[in-house]
Amino acid sequence: MTPSSAGAARSGLEKHVVAAPRTVILVGNPNVGKSVLFGALTGKYVTVSNYPGTTVEVTRGSATLDGRSWHVMDTPGTNNLLPMSEDEQVTRDILLSERDYVCIQVCDAKNLRRGLLLSAQLAEAQVPYSLALNMADEAAARGISIDVEKLSRELGVDVVATVAVERKGLPALSSRVASARPAKLAIRYDVPIEDALAKIEPLMPEGGLGARGLAVMALVGDASLRTHLASSLGDAQLAEIDAIRRGVAERYPESLRFVINKQRLAAVDRLHDSVVTRSGASVASSFGRKLGAWSTHRFIGLPILAAVLYACYEFVGVLGAGTLVDFLESVVFEQHLVPWIDAAVRFVVPAGAAQSFLVGPPGSAPADHSGFLIGKYGVISMGLSYGMAIVLPIVATFFVAFSVLEDSGYLPRLAVMVNRVFKWMGLNGKAVLPMVLGLGCDTMATMTARIMETRKERVIVTLLLALGVPCSAQMAVIFAMVSHIGAGAAAWFALSVLVTLFIVGWLAARVIPGRGSDFMLELPPLRVPQLGNIAVKTLARIEWYLREALPLFVLGTLILWGLDRIGGLAVIERAMSPVVVGVLQLPKEAASAFVLGFLRRDYAAAGLFVHYQPFMDGGALSREMQVEIVVALTVITLFIPCIANFFMILKERGLKTGVAIAAFILPFSIGVGAVVNGLMRALWL
Amino acid sequence: MALAREPNAVVGRIERCPLCGHEFDAEGQGCRPSCPMARGCRVVCCPSCSYSFPQETGLAGRLRSLLDRKRSTR
Repeated sequence: MTPSSAGAARSGLEKHVVAAPRTVILVGNPNVGKSVLFGALTGKYVTVSNYPGTTVEVTRGSATLDGRSWHVMDTPGTNNLLPMSEDEQVTRDILLSERDYVCIQVCDAKNLRRGLLLSAQLAEAQVPYSLALNMADEAAARGISIDVEKLSRELGVDVVATVAVERKGLPALSSRVASARPAKLAIRYDVPIEDALAKIEPLMPEGGLGARGLAVMALVGDASLRTHLASSLGDAQLAEIDAIRRGVAERYPESLRFVINKQRLAAVDRLHDSVVTRSGASVASSFGRKLGAWSTHRFIGLPILAAVLYACYEFVGVLGAGTLVDFLESVVFEQHLVPWIDAAVRFVVPAGAAQSFLVGPPGSAPADHSGFLIGKYGVISMGLSYGMAIVLPIVATFFVAFSVLEDSGYLPRLAVMVNRVFKWMGLNGKAVLPMVLGLGCDTMATMTARIMETRKERVIVTLLLALGVPCSAQMAVIFAMVSHIGAGAAAWFALSVLVTLFIVGWLAARVIPGRGSDFMLELPPLRVPQLGNIAVKTLARIEWYLREALPLFVLGTLILWGLDRIGGLAVIERAMSPVVVGVLQLPKEAASAFVLGFLRRDYAAAGLFVHYQPFMDGGALSREMQVEIVVALTVITLFIPCIANFFMILKERGLKTGVAIAAFILPFSIGVGAVVNGLMRALWL
Repeated sequence: MALAREPNAVVGRIERCPLCGHEFDAEGQGCRPSCPMARGCRVVCCPSCSYSFPQETGLAGRLRSLLDRKRSTR
């Protein structure tokens, strides 16, 4: 694994090296500046090759550090020596298989806690290393002060503050490489875990990683280590390790990986808090810490979650979808903008076919003609009205609420709370992240499903995202409609979607073979959200939404307009009538909403919103209409994902899986809608 | 694929993940070209927890600069 002799012979200068060069391996979390440091140490002459059996690239070079020649290896960023991805496994395997090496651990000084988690594992594995606190200037600029001497004393290794991009601290770091040594930091776990480690350690083979580090990996059942152990240990010893692991695992409700990570994190937190001080008032108050703990508590967290959701509903559903939509649609668009544009076009374009094409015949209401700009399916009276007057105020209030949750630090806690529910659904807890992201944009979230370890998990997450996780814009419109249908009907809708997700997730997890993993997420402190931050975050999201959604809204309107002109809408409504009217008992107009929901889900929801708006505004929604709304919203929520998400599914999961997911969802959503319709009419109407 | 790739859409600067608090350089952390909507997209992805969020550019970027300037003059 050391650089090849061919590489060594590449330069004639290297013939002057007397002693065989040792290897220094750069390790660190992702995005901490390892590659910059590698470049600064080695210069131009490097080799890049895939790690055997993988597509992960490893870079090698040579350097003269403090007068001595070294081979240098740059490894993929890792957060854990218990690998949860191919990149992390490559780094762990390099440390495992190399001999006679030292490490430079590169750590982002702004994110010391995460770096120390890796330091603790290197210490556990008795890896000799020096610690580079990189980006020290950025940490200082943020008021983060690290007591380097104390950290060095506590860890028992050399610690050097560096700014790799400016080569600051590199001479000092180079001079500490030769004196790299295993850290003295020792983390003690619970007695049962320590007892088990004491039994496993003597069985561990010698190698690049020390016995205790390997024993921890073996105890948590790291599958990627199995091959390595099997090459050195007999079946009886492997069985003995398995028996020890099972014995300890029975003592804890959570997995051993989770328990060990949690206890290690607690020790790292103590070390971190003893060496880091922050200027300003960024340290969470004791009340903030308590509230943060309550918000993820198994029982106390539930009323907090309910209160947060209720506040969101009042803000988005009542203020955004009620007051703001009424004002923008009825006053701004209907009373002012549409009549003004209508008058302006009639003033500029002479009466005749062109004028009639653009804004309809004179004297007729927009809803009664097919004008291109102003009309039943007009680009302005429908497309812009949907985008700007109906969906925008709702998503804007939703984005404000989302930004408050983000800036307060509650969002990751929400993920932790929902994590428990997902575990009941038979899902791996790590799936929470793409699911939470799906509430923002399902297309992005589908891409994020890559973080899942196995193909099984990625497929399940993709399926559930496509099936029943509404994106922010769609959820906003759903909020708006649900706010008008009463608590009973709203509960029917929520339960229909949640129960469907639960059943599909539960079944998929059992039908598809594979294993799960744990959900680890660093929780930032809970804090009072800053008004400026909320304004900027909301504005950034609104800009993003306008860029992505508005063009598709206009495109959708053009499609509707074109279909209406050629009589296509009537054909679609007739073709879908057996399903829409016959099976789901919805008005025939819902057919076009379903079809265009493929363009954007919120476009479909906005279509339904407009259809029922006169009744919602007038408080004249009959119970039958409420059933229709629940059924229509359920079908649209579970319906085939929007076009962007569909292409992302094809790209990420492949044609076969993508088509299979769509083929399942399409009839399934209709089927669920039919069941909900039947149940509501039998039990609720 | 060329349509889906716009390498300069994401501005290389330090971003703080709103989910896990990790601070990272946004360079190279932009929306991947596999997304059909990626052209010009300024959504960045946290390298630590994979949370995605739109970068504060355009009007939001200018508002951020204004707020930062006000804070620094206080």
